[in-house]
Amino acid sequence: MTITHKTFTKAAIDERVAQRSPLQKLLGRPEVGALVGAIVLFIFFAAVSPTFTQPNALATVLYGSSTIGIMAVGVSLLMIGGEFDLSTGVAVISSALTASMFSWYFSTNVWVGVILALLVSLAIGFINGWILMKTKLPSFIVTLATFLMLTGLNLGLTRLIGGSVSSPSISNMDGFDTARGVFASSVNIAGIDVKITVFIWIALVAVATWVLMRTRVGNWIFAVGGDENAARAVGVPVKATKIGLFMGVGFCGWILGMHNLFAFDTVQSGEGVGNEFLYIIAAVIGGCLLTGGYGSAVGGAIGAFIFGMANKGIVYAQWNPDWFKFFLGLMLLLATIVNLIVKRRAELK
Amino acid sequence: MNAKAIDQETLLQNERDPLTHTPVHLLSLEGVGKHYGNIIALSDVTMAVDNGRVTCVLGDNGAGKSTLIKIIAGLHQHDEGVLNIMGEDRKFGSPRDALDAGIATVYQDLAVVPLMPIWRNFFLGSELTKGFGPFKYMDVEQMKAITLKELAEMGIDLRDVEQPIGQLSGGERQCVAIARAVYFGAKVLILDEPTAALGVKQSGVVLRYILQARDRGLGVIFITHNPHHAFPVGDRFLLLKRGKSIGYYDKKDITLDELTAQMAGGAELAELAHELEQLGGHGDVVKEVKAEVTDVADSVKAGTPKHA
Amino acid sequence: MASTARMKIALIAHAPAGDTFWDTVRKGAEEAAAKDNVELLYTSDPEAGRQAQLIEQAVDQKVDGIAVTLATPDALKDALKKATDAGIPIVSFNAGEAASAQLGAFTHFGSNEQLAGEAVGSKLAEGGYKHPVCVIQAQGHVGLEARCAGVKAKVPGTEILYVNGADMTSVESTATAKLQASKDADVIIGLGAPITLTLLKSVTTAGSSAKVASFDLNKELAQKVVDGSVLFTVDQQPWLQGYGAVDALWQNKRGGFKVGGGQSVLTGPAIVDQSNAAEVLKFAEQGIR
Repeated sequence: MTITHKTFTKAAIDERVAQRSPLQKLLGRPEVGALVGAIVLFIFFAAVSPTFTQPNALATVLYGSSTIGIMAVGVSLLMIGGEFDLSTGVAVISSALTASMFSWYFSTNVWVGVILALLVSLAIGFINGWILMKTKLPSFIVTLATFLMLTGLNLGLTRLIGGSVSSPSISNMDGFDTARGVFASSVNIAGIDVKITVFIWIALVAVATWVLMRTRVGNWIFAVGGDENAARAVGVPVKATKIGLFMGVGFCGWILGMHNLFAFDTVQSGEGVGNEFLYIIAAVIGGCLLTGGYGSAVGGAIGAFIFGMANKGIVYAQWNPDWFKFFLGLMLLLATIVNLIVKRRAELK
Repeated sequence: MNAKAIDQETLLQNERDPLTHTPVHLLSLEGVGKHYGNIIALSDVTMAVDNGRVTCVLGDNGAGKSTLIKIIAGLHQHDEGVLNIMGEDRKFGSPRDALDAGIATVYQDLAVVPLMPIWRNFFLGSELTKGFGPFKYMDVEQMKAITLKELAEMGIDLRDVEQPIGQLSGGERQCVAIARAVYFGAKVLILDEPTAALGVKQSGVVLRYILQARDRGLGVIFITHNPHHAFPVGDRFLLLKRGKSIGYYDKKDITLDELTAQMAGGAELAELAHELEQLGGHGDVVKEVKAEVTDVADSVKAGTPKHA
Repeated sequence: MASTARMKIALIAHAPAGDTFWDTVRKGAEEAAAKDNVELLYTSDPEAGRQAQLIEQAVDQKVDGIAVTLATPDALKDALKKATDAGIPIVSFNAGEAASAQLGAFTHFGSNEQLAGEAVGSKLAEGGYKHPVCVIQAQGHVGLEARCAGVKAKVPGTEILYVNGADMTSVESTATAKLQASKDADVIIGLGAPITLTLLKSVTTAGSSAKVASFDLNKELAQKVVDGSVLFTVDQQPWLQGYGAVDALWQNKRGGFKVGGGQSVLTGPAIVDQSNAAEVLKFAEQGIR
């Protein structure tokens, strides 16, 4: 039995590929569903509430979105990498408490506390990722455990060190003003004060998008989320990538934690519980697959913006907020269904 | 077991390392074994892989084929015997080690990440970059161009390497994985059951790519349970059963029928026929199995004089 | 310290962990316990079912008295029945004045939320405010709704705004949005000290001319009242609730006394404005106001 080894071409496969128009390409992007949703929601609120489109109000909506969006950047990447993190909400507060308690207790310049908080935040991410890779438990369990432990540590250590349930005010300590300038100031643009978190948010989204689309690490993130075993088999450092993603979430948590601290001087140790779901919701609405391997940082940002618009839009429209959660849930469901359809098409075609 | 086992000396006579001028294989296993706790997954396996040769590893489910490739691909470490690469004893700590030693593996189901574009899959783990330090970024245009070119050379003509690889057919996906291994300078290419999930036509396509890889000078290890796929492309055949080697043949010493007979296990079929008869009924089935037994026995007999 | 034999009192609240208000209650209870030679078992759980379990556990531990908050009286009914059956004296505090006697408590220490709301409303009406925004940080919370209802009873133009109290950035941005939307809002009311402090930022951000009023107290808020950036706050004197509840149980043990004469003991509302804020601030710094 012999086989001739001439190269042969396959023409059949091109027919469907060649027909992909730019529009179809756009529709294939993960964040397109969210983008359409955002535009519809914007037009809707602009129509029902004249205040909504005023520059001041937009700045407020953007601020509300940014406090979700900053975390959603890290959470989106993590979700594309196939994991998710339930400890994010309280980890933000852990970071803020670390910075304020340390600099208050040791009477240091607040920047010392800020740096320490960064280390603690990164360490929380590292521990999450390391335990996950070591035990191979689902991230749901591991981060649920860290969520509970951090909640306890926040309360316990705050009382132990400060003798109270909220951190002492550090507004008159050295370095506070510069730190506030970095994390919690406003920038005046054409007469409108825009909170600095909005710019940090945009910068983070830009960096995350660049990493995801244009660097090796980005390629690895898609791969570990899409098929961990395949990624490992072709030599992708799966462990380092996943641990790195958790640390990325930690970094975002640090930024938001510092904003919390320097915007409000004190931090309540019981805060943050429940916010982890908002970040996940933003990422999912933005087109990140809960099972990993698909999504974008821009999508997470749009998800956060949708959340911010809905949350604030109801206030501008002077509506009864009782229904807010219902609509949020509905939006989440619709977004997930759209994502599911996208995934099925990608896999089955 | 009438077919003559390969004599290592004769096999080696034409293979010489260009630098040392000593007989050396591209990759060879000698008495390799592996156990998980007290379960012996593989024991005393000996085989060799050389440039421009296809070594087929045949065996039924649970024969130890996947343990064998996991050892060569660096996913597991062997406990006994020697894994020799270009005359050097090795034990791989990770798949990366194996890749660095020029061993690329194409797995049957996890060759690629379905949701990722073809070009990202092609370069996954070995991306091309530009720039310095933290500002290093992927050379996307070049990666796309190379992907397109390499696939065209393998005979897959795509206009859009941006589409998710999951949209390609099973055979095409295997081919992308093979092309990837060839491009990245693999010396040894392990193909894990590449035809198992494919139809007849797609299998044929994959078999052609195996030969293309061989003709490019790669040493190919082709894992399969189908002797009809193995025989046409293979140069050597290693048969595994329950973690043990039950035969190692050169192509000139064995026929397809013999190979099939060894795979099917003539004695076991006879036993099955006997059992079915005792249970009564199933007349048709018994008849079928008996016919099969006769076939197998014939072919083994037929092969005997040739190698006696 | 009292020379009476050591006794064990369980204080069971519906407090969420990490809340400043409850911290002050606890401080009051601890001070009374120290003075009265009482071993204080402080537990709390915001979920009604689990709070009931805590009561049953206290009964199992054969405590000499139970001080309990009745935020969800129906859920705690059965557990408290076990306590009365075991002959354990009960005092309720903070929440559940109406159900107190019925569930076997001999008195109740607390401030009537509706009355407190009305006190704020009256004071705002006096100041000529027409459009207060009352900010509720936990949607569906009976006590907080009652406070805003009290304000609305005195100032009909009152609007209610719901925010997520677990996230200060969200509180700030939502309140900012509200102030931008309702230009005629002339005062915004926070129902907890940390919330009020955040509302101050919202007023600045929104560039609103609205004043800020508050319920409850902590040292930062007291300072703001001294500064004049917060008009006034209504204190329900949480320290007194914790102290009074424990002390009443001790008194009951000591001589069979029943404080309150079958009625509840009001710990508020006490209005803190610029006239007395400086004095209150002293105590707030010690964490007891």
